[in-house]
Formats: sequence, C-alpha cells, structure tokens
Amino acid sequence: MFSSFVHRFSSPKSYVEITRKFFPYISLFGFLLLLIGWIWGLAFAPEDAVQGNSYRIIYLHVPASIFAQLVYFFMSICALIHLVWRVKLAAYLIKSAALVGAMITFIALFSGSIWGIPTWGTWWQWDARITSTLILFIMYLGIITLHGSFSNLEKADRLMSILVVVGVVNIPIIKKSVDWWSTLHQSASITISDGTSIDPSMLYPLLISIFGMGLTLISLGILSSKFYILTREKNKKWVQSYV
Amino acid sequence: MIKIFQSEFFKLRKKLRTWLGPLLIMVLVLIAFPLSIDISQYDLNRFYFSIIVVALLMISFLSTEGIFLEDYEDGSLEQVYLVEQDFYKFVLAKVLTFVLLIGVPMAGIGSVFSILNGISINEVPKIFFMMFLSNLLLFNLFAFGSSLSINKGAILGVLATLPLALPIIILLGRGVRTIQHGIGFEGVMALMVGSGLLVASITPLIISATLKTHLE
Repeated sequence: MFSSFVHRFSSPKSYVEITRKFFPYISLFGFLLLLIGWIWGLAFAPEDAVQGNSYRIIYLHVPASIFAQLVYFFMSICALIHLVWRVKLAAYLIKSAALVGAMITFIALFSGSIWGIPTWGTWWQWDARITSTLILFIMYLGIITLHGSFSNLEKADRLMSILVVVGVVNIPIIKKSVDWWSTLHQSASITISDGTSIDPSMLYPLLISIFGMGLTLISLGILSSKFYILTREKNKKWVQSYV
Repeated sequence: MIKIFQSEFFKLRKKLRTWLGPLLIMVLVLIAFPLSIDISQYDLNRFYFSIIVVALLMISFLSTEGIFLEDYEDGSLEQVYLVEQDFYKFVLAKVLTFVLLIGVPMAGIGSVFSILNGISINEVPKIFFMMFLSNLLLFNLFAFGSSLSINKGAILGVLATLPLALPIIILLGRGVRTIQHGIGFEGVMALMVGSGLLVASITPLIISATLKTHLE
C-alpha cells in the first residue's frame, strides 16, 4: 500500500505540479512567521537576566540548529526510499536538500560562533556539540561533492543515497552529544518529557521563529528541487511544455 | 569464505608496498613528531597519545584508499561479482585481510610508542585491544569510502566518509583517558566492542551494494 502511494506521487512531473500550487502560500506564510518571530524576539521579548541582550541570537541560532539536523534526517528518509523503491524524485530531493542543509548548518555554526563571544569568551571551542555540527556540515559538503563527481547521474544518485543512509549515524551523536560528553554547550531547554525551562515571553517568539524557519526552508528546498528537476529532466516532453 | 580469505591474504602479502608502506609511514610520523618540537618546553607524555591517534586515522585513511582499485581496474572485481553468489564474503575477506596485515601491526606499533611515552606496560593489552578495535572500525569505514568513488579516485569517497571517523577518534581518546585515570575503561570498551561487531558485520553488505552500483 505504501509502495503504491510512493509510486503514485513520486513522478517529478506531479511533484512540480503539486508544489507549484502550494509554493506561494508556504513561502509567504513562512516568511511572515519568520518576520513576526524575529521582530517579537529582537524588539519585544524581555532581556535575559544573565546573558542580557546577547541571548536574542537564539531566534536565529536555535531554529538553524534544529533544521540542520532535520534536513539530514529528511535526506536519509529520501535516501531509503530511493534505495528501496528506486524512486528518482527521492534522489532529486536529496541533492536539493543537501544544498539547503549545508547552508543552514553553516548559519547554525556561524551564529553559534557569534553567540560564543559574549557567553564563553571565545569564537570557537572544540566542544562535542559544535564539533559534531561541524562534522555534519562537512558531511553535507561531502555528499554534494560526491554527487558532482560522477557523469553518470543515476549511479551518482545511488552512491549519494548510500552515503546519506550511512551518515545518519551522525544525527543521534549530535543530538545526544551534550548529554554524553562534558561540554560547554548547554543541554536542550525544550524537551518533550520535561517541557521547557524558557519563560513564555521568550518561548513564543522562538516557537514562531522555528515554524517560520521550517516553512522558509521548505520553500527554499522546493525552489532548489524544482530547478534541479527541470535541469535533470530537460529532455522530457513535459519539461519542454512546462518551460 | 576461508578460501577467499586465504587468497586475499596471499595477494596482499605479496604487495609489500601496500601493507609495509603505511606501517613505515606511521613509524616515521611517530618518530618525527618529538624531533620537530622542543621537548624541553612541552610535556610530551600529556599529548603524545593524540599524535598516535591522529597517525592511526591518517594511515588507515591512506592504506584503504586503493583497497578495491586494482581489482576494479583489472576486471577481477567484476569477475568475482559474476561468479561469487555472496559478494559480501569477498568484501569481508578483503577488509579483514587489510585489518590483519596493516591494522594489527599498526595497533602494535601504537602500543610500543605508548610505552615509550609513559603508559605503563601493564596497560599495554588494553591500549592494543582498543587500537585494534579502532582500526577495525576505521578500515571498514574507509573501505566503504573507497568503494564510493572507486573509479573517480578513491580519495574523494574516503574524504566524504572522514567525518564519520571522528566519533571513533573521540571514543578512542576517551578510552585512553579512562586507562590513564584507572576508571570506566570497561564501559568504553563495551561500547567499542559493540560498535566494532556491528560495523564489521554490516559494512561489508553496504560496501558490496556500493560496488555493485559501479559494476552494474
């Protein structure tokens, strides 16, 4: 049943048609949410008692860090679908998501570095969470480079999918690094089991930023994947009529 | 399986440069490092083990770079793929051969240099076993990397998998600290043995799937 569902909605043509309908709403809604979250967080949320105003970078850093891992997780699901059902679209999505993932991981690292100066007194620390996120960033670059090195794109898709599936082992390491190793980085402030330790006046704009960032990244992913699909399938009739 | 292993072992043993070269480089690095710094200013014992760990990483990286390349270029990999029903057995034999001929001596060399730099002789079996397990993990990982880009210069695939080796290095470093402090070694060891067994049993399957992609 799942297999037939996958095959039914997995043609690049139907993906482009479906995303064409939803793209304006997702991107607009995402952008607005992000804007509201950031304005609320930067201008109206109260100052932190310990960190002062420097904590406000969480409205960029926390969503970026969450999605740095989530994008990889999404890629690994696509990779499994590609390897098991040989769905072409899944490979196209991995390739497009890798670019978005590399970008957002870089933002997470960079914003963390900026936050490090006022809180830890240093730009960089060879700390478990930071190092494992750097590893994730290098993984994204490795995946993009590996795919780019093959002229046979079907082969490149398969090899990239295998690497993505193997690399997923890095995700729980990043997630749990703050618990497993003694580290400067604080542990999660929002958990499913223990709730949150953040005051609601700071939490709401953060949640809005997270949702906004998620939708914005989805729309970026859609844009990137559409461009990639049209390039890959340029010889197909439907692309010529679409363009 | 044993037959394949014997033939792979024989083949690798004949290629002196492939297995002896990395070992000599390792010895050279471990000797050259203390010479290149002013040891009167630094407490070498404190960080020498880090050099051994990095040497292990780089040498296993270098030695597995061409693990399948020759077989791929001369067509014997394709032949094995067509003849052998369980292709992963061939991969398993190949990786195990590399671990035995390069990984085990590397662990031995690392242990000897650890003694020379302050680790007690009683701790050597622990150090050796830990390095052996790290090599088992690293060789499997880099063999996978090598298989990814076999016809495009294996170094690319190995580089792509290099980030995955870093948790192994962190674990190895932690293991050494537990030896130095005398507590918690069993826990780290159990984790390494578990990961080693898991990786050694799954990776040949992944590598054979990757190689099949190149051969099909």
